[in-house]
Amino acid sequence: MLESILGFSQATGIYAFMNTPWGWPLAESIHFIGLCLLIGTVGVFDLRLLGMAPGVAFADLHRLVPLGVAGYFMNVITGVMFFTTAPDQYLFNPAFQTKLSFMLIAGVNMLVFYTTTSAEVKRTSAVLVVPVRARAIGAISLACWCAVIICGRLITYYRPPYYWCAWC
Amino acid sequence: MAFVVGINIAINLRLVGFLPRFPLAPLFRFYRLHWLAAAVIFLSGLSLLMAYPAKALTNPVFYLKLSALVSALLISRYFQKMLALTGENFELERLVPRLAYLSLVLWIVTVTAGRFLAYTHSVLLASRFY
Repeated sequence: MLESILGFSQATGIYAFMNTPWGWPLAESIHFIGLCLLIGTVGVFDLRLLGMAPGVAFADLHRLVPLGVAGYFMNVITGVMFFTTAPDQYLFNPAFQTKLSFMLIAGVNMLVFYTTTSAEVKRTSAVLVVPVRARAIGAISLACWCAVIICGRLITYYRPPYYWCAWC
Repeated sequence: MAFVVGINIAINLRLVGFLPRFPLAPLFRFYRLHWLAAAVIFLSGLSLLMAYPAKALTNPVFYLKLSALVSALLISRYFQKMLALTGENFELERLVPRLAYLSLVLWIVTVTAGRFLAYTHSVLLASRFY
C-alpha cells in the first residue's frame, strides 16, 4: 500500500516538488492559509449560530461559506501532497487518524445542516436566536474544526513506529 | 492563530465589498474573541521564543513575521477605534478598503513567514557560539 501511494506521488511529480527546498514549507503555508479561510468563514458562521454578534443576518454571513469551501479544497490538495510524499509518517499516526475522524464528523454534520436546518436558519431574523438543533450543529462543527487543527499540529510531534498501529 | 486570522479575513472581506453592506457594528463583536485569541498567540509565541531564543532572533524571517503581525493587529485596532468614533460612516473613508486589502496581505505574510520559520533557521541553540 505504501509503495503504491509513493508511486502515485512520484508519477505525478508531487514527490519531486515536495522534496525541493521550498516545496514542503510552501505547501504548509497554503495549508495554513486554507485553514484560516475555513475558520474565518465556517468558524465565524458557527459562532453566529451559537449566538455571537446578534444583528448580523445569517444569510449575509452564509455568503462567506463558499470562500471557506475554497479554503477546504486548498487544504485537501496540500494534504494529499503531504500524505502521498511521506505516507509512512501519516498512515500509522494516531494523530492523523484522529484528524481524519474529526473531518468526517464535520462533513456529516455539514450534510445534516444543509438537509435539515439550513433553510430555516437563513430565514431567521438577525435579532432572533436559531433553533437548538442549529446551535448544536454550530457547536459540533466548531469543536470538530478545533480538534482538526490540534490533531494536525500533533502529527508533527507524535510519530509512533508503525507497529503501534492497531489496525495495520 | 486561525481564529485571529480567520476573524480578520471575514471583517476585511466585508470592508473590501465581498459581502453585502450589512451593518458593521455587530460583525465587530467578533473582535472580543479575536483579542482573546491574540492574547493566546502572544503567550504561546513568548513561550516558544523563551524556549529557543537564538533560533528565532537570528532568523530574519522571524522579524518579517513579527512586523507583519504587529502591523496587521494595529490595522485591526484602528478599524475598531474608528468604528467606535465615527460609527458606520467610517467605511466611507477611502483609506478603509485599502487598509483592509493591506491587512489581508499582511495576514498571508504572517502565516507564510510563520511556517517558513521552521525551515529557515540557521542556529538552534546559542550554545553553538561558545
